[in-house]
Amino acid sequence: MNPPNRSFRRAALACAFAPLLAWSAPPQTHAESVVTVAMTAGDIPNTTGNPDQGFEGFRFVGYNLYDSLALWDLSRSDKPSDIKPGLATSWEVDPNNHRRWIFHLRQGVKWHDGCPFTAEDVLWNLARVTDQKAPQFYTLQMALSRSYTTNFESAEKVDDNTVAITTKVAESLFPYSMSYLLMVSRCRAEALKYDWGAYAEHPSGTGPYKFDRMVAHERLELLPNKDYWDPKRVAKHDRLILLPMPEAATRTAALLTGQVNFVEAPSPDAIPRLKSAGMQIVTNQYPHNWPYILNFVRGPMTDIRVRRAANYALNRSEFVELLGGMAMEEYATMPPGTPYYGHPVRYEFNQDKAKALLKEAGCMPCKIVLAISTSGSGQMQPLPMNELVKSQLEEVGFQVEFKVMDWNSLIEVGRSGVVKYPEIDGYNGSRALLDPLSALIKPVWKLHWSPAGANWGHFYDPEIEELVGQILNDFDAETRLEKLTKLHELENDRALMIWVVHDLNPRALSPKLHGFVQAQNWFQDLTPISVDP
Amino acid sequence: MLGYIGRRILFAIPIAFGVSVVCFSLVYLAPGDPLQTILPSDATAEMVAQIKQAYGLDRPLPVQFLLWLGHVLTGDFGMSISTRRPVILEVTGALSNTFMLTSFAVPLAFIVGYTMGAIAGCFPGRAIDRVVTGASVVGVSLPNYWLGIVLVIVFAVELMALPATGMGPKGSAEFSFFRWSDAQYLVQPVVTLSMIPVGIISRTTRAAVSEVLNQDFVTTLRAKGLGEFAVIRHVLKNSAPQVLAVMGLQFGYLMGGSILVETVFTWPGSGFMLSKAIINRDIPVLQGTILFLAMIFVATNLVVDLLQSVIDPRIRRS
Amino acid sequence: MSQTATLPAGARFDDDLPPALRVRGYWSSVGVRLRHDPATLCFGVIVLLIVLAAIFAPLIAPFDPYKESVVLRLKPFGYRGHPLGTDELGRDLLSRLIYGGRSSLLMGLVPVCIATALGGTLGVIGGFAGRTVNAAIMRTMDVFYAFPSVLLAVAISGAMGGGMANGMAALALVFIPAMCRVAETATAQVRSLDFIEAARATGAGTFTIVRYHVLGNVLGPVFIYASSLVSVSILLASGLSFLGLGVKPPTPDWGLMLSTLRQSIYVAPLSCALPGAAIFVTSICFNLVSDGIRSAMDVRL
Repeated sequence: MNPPNRSFRRAALACAFAPLLAWSAPPQTHAESVVTVAMTAGDIPNTTGNPDQGFEGFRFVGYNLYDSLALWDLSRSDKPSDIKPGLATSWEVDPNNHRRWIFHLRQGVKWHDGCPFTAEDVLWNLARVTDQKAPQFYTLQMALSRSYTTNFESAEKVDDNTVAITTKVAESLFPYSMSYLLMVSRCRAEALKYDWGAYAEHPSGTGPYKFDRMVAHERLELLPNKDYWDPKRVAKHDRLILLPMPEAATRTAALLTGQVNFVEAPSPDAIPRLKSAGMQIVTNQYPHNWPYILNFVRGPMTDIRVRRAANYALNRSEFVELLGGMAMEEYATMPPGTPYYGHPVRYEFNQDKAKALLKEAGCMPCKIVLAISTSGSGQMQPLPMNELVKSQLEEVGFQVEFKVMDWNSLIEVGRSGVVKYPEIDGYNGSRALLDPLSALIKPVWKLHWSPAGANWGHFYDPEIEELVGQILNDFDAETRLEKLTKLHELENDRALMIWVVHDLNPRALSPKLHGFVQAQNWFQDLTPISVDP
Repeated sequence: MLGYIGRRILFAIPIAFGVSVVCFSLVYLAPGDPLQTILPSDATAEMVAQIKQAYGLDRPLPVQFLLWLGHVLTGDFGMSISTRRPVILEVTGALSNTFMLTSFAVPLAFIVGYTMGAIAGCFPGRAIDRVVTGASVVGVSLPNYWLGIVLVIVFAVELMALPATGMGPKGSAEFSFFRWSDAQYLVQPVVTLSMIPVGIISRTTRAAVSEVLNQDFVTTLRAKGLGEFAVIRHVLKNSAPQVLAVMGLQFGYLMGGSILVETVFTWPGSGFMLSKAIINRDIPVLQGTILFLAMIFVATNLVVDLLQSVIDPRIRRS
Repeated sequence: MSQTATLPAGARFDDDLPPALRVRGYWSSVGVRLRHDPATLCFGVIVLLIVLAAIFAPLIAPFDPYKESVVLRLKPFGYRGHPLGTDELGRDLLSRLIYGGRSSLLMGLVPVCIATALGGTLGVIGGFAGRTVNAAIMRTMDVFYAFPSVLLAVAISGAMGGGMANGMAALALVFIPAMCRVAETATAQVRSLDFIEAARATGAGTFTIVRYHVLGNVLGPVFIYASSLVSVSILLASGLSFLGLGVKPPTPDWGLMLSTLRQSIYVAPLSCALPGAAIFVTSICFNLVSDGIRSAMDVRL
């Protein structure tokens, strides 16, 4: 607070009666072009490497400050994005040892602090999240990157431009994991004597934006990295400001009053109002789904007929209507257009079929317990949507009981798995399906049975298990894609989940913003955005 | 006098201790694991234990309390679980933002409430009294967060006269109320926040003024031939201590009670931080914020008591 | 919401005779005064109507408050038999407002009743039992008094994880200390009066004294203070629900409806205003009735 002085009283009075005074705003002197984003996160994502706040943290903070060995190609909106060279220009598996991956590093890359990017930096970063004895080991970062390092065993420097990473078991999809492991500056960390609290306020990476300033909990301001190694991705605006605004109504008001010019996930009900104010609404499909993950250990969902019945019972067009068109009917894990989509069974709305299946299964009325959350990242509008699911399921003979909990409790249910919560027949957890490993393999793989992994309901099917093994040992992209397609189709046949909708991820942009390309991805590239004065 | 002050301060110490016990135990009422939020969804039991140890959450509760209290007394409130920043920094930053709101809302409430109450008290039973009394009941009966929502829609979104949310175009760090571009962010939250105290202060003032008006000395003053204006001046002067006390208490209440208003306006104050700490289950921040706010309240009460005893020595006896 | 700020400084009566000595005359005069106060009677009738509407909600409500229909969402007033339109899930808004009164009134009344019973009892014990017990009770109360009411309510219900029962427990805890003080002050005043000494001298037991002499004098101030807390409690409870710490969806509740309808404020501003108005009307009526009773009973807090 400023110290009170003589004009304090005048200012205080003026503020108290401000609405009565015609007090003109001082002219804006700087003609800086600024992109101000209202995020849905409740706080500023962590800046010490892998961010928290889910993939939104990666989207706005992680991939802006930092790079990983492999990056996501976010330059197109018309086809699903895949990984591309990042800090590594190429990679291949050692032909003699399928557990050993060779990464060729990009030359001439500099950290924001000026130090050069080296092979040692890569090893140092890997040790930071895996080696408890390393001085740079940081528990929080270990926790935030653990799911991407499960299969990591060791790393070594081959030469100045090459590192080799060895995995515990052969895994043909391993480079995807490396795309989630962000590299931070060893130089800066050593200068700060491994004080990660200080590092959070002075982060240094190789990413397309440099850190400028941060007001804790309120805003993070980034400046374009003019020396970015990819000249095509040097930002076309002068400043990027990130504001956490968890309330949709607040984000809408902030955009309408001009406080921000880029809003994540406006409430569908506010979209007509935003359009009438001239805002651009952009949407795109992306690898997101909003399903129920089911219990394969006990209860009605162990019967494939009940699972199929539930899928036939849903009239997905009503969900799209509820969400004001900001969603897409979901009939399979992946959205159509995914390279390994194939021809999955399509569970079209058919109440008679659903009733017949339930009757055949002898589950009448079919009592099920579903765990749902009141909010959460990627959960869309969980309460109204779940209410609608309940009423549609009950029309064909289900009897649905909800366990309503907050987001963190649901995450806990998801983490502990069916062993701890045998009474829950399914839980409603939205999923990010960026890479085939997390999208298709983890939910069915025996190795990932909860609580060790993401196979919440302990699904097991010998045919699928066999296929998964083949995929992970197939290092030929083309034949692997065929097998992945087969896996996707098989999972649909087994009615692995109850599929409801894919989010279309609406964003609202001020008419002054140009050049934003919404990629079919959880991550987005903000650098091409230019701002009209 | 000094003895009285000393006794009053001594008396506040056990209360402060009790408050710290309540703050500490409060967060252990909670079901679930406080570390849930920072753990990845597939964390192993071993990893959970490791992180628990790192945060000192594996010790028995009384030990945790004593350790915590020892740290607190040296000004160390620990680290925020979600941001890894020292809690003391987090809390003081948020508190100064809330203080910014209350330091405008309380004087505003005092000016408006006292004027309303004095007018009503001087003309008991007249139409103006009814209007003022009605308005002050509205003030204490209106859900203030609802008023805030309505203000945002009317003044920010539709009229575009005031900003809708946040604290200044550059955030709280560079906020200065000497610049209108910043100060305009204060207007709606301050008006919303002062709603309830306006109601309370005007009711108190009305009661105090009308009581003083009925006292013997007023009759004496009138009998001595003093003009009505001079009489009112005396009356207001005599009713001031009581009103000042209420105002002081309101300051403490608003510091701790701004959570709803801060939520509606995304004002980065202590209430906003508290609700975030509850959602994130960030125990150190929760403890620190509640403790700080309660201590401020204890301190305000103490100051109000002492000031009252200075103004009106009779109070000291009770 | 911070009405508890007006500290109960003890009860004073217009003349020095304790009302216990003139019981019949006192209560009937209160009745007479109330009967001649049309405003209070009028607001009392509104309160009664709101309470009756909540109790008999299933008979009055035109629709099932849980029955939703996506095609009917956010319809305006009077649409297809929905007098106040529908909410964001196509549920009848009038029915939800009527049912919402149940949880809102419960959250308003239950904590006050608990606080009156517990706080009042503790206060009477503290006021009558003398030094050690009094100190033990009152100093404990002082600790809880050291929290601003909103803060304490949010902190407790937030820590316990929200929900209606936790919210009510939190609010009760907020009101107990203030209630205890009112009862303690009133008891202590009566205790020192001659007639208690006289009763003791005639050999009356403690229980009898408390039962016949103390309670008669303490009930008045306690009742009035409790009545003034109801509106505070309703406002605080709706605030808790608004923050997501009170009633859980899909249960209809005014604070919660305000919070969920807020997302649709640009589509249906009027519908969004209704739950706020319901809270306001209920709270102001309770306030005015409490004021009316207070002046009729001629008690100052």
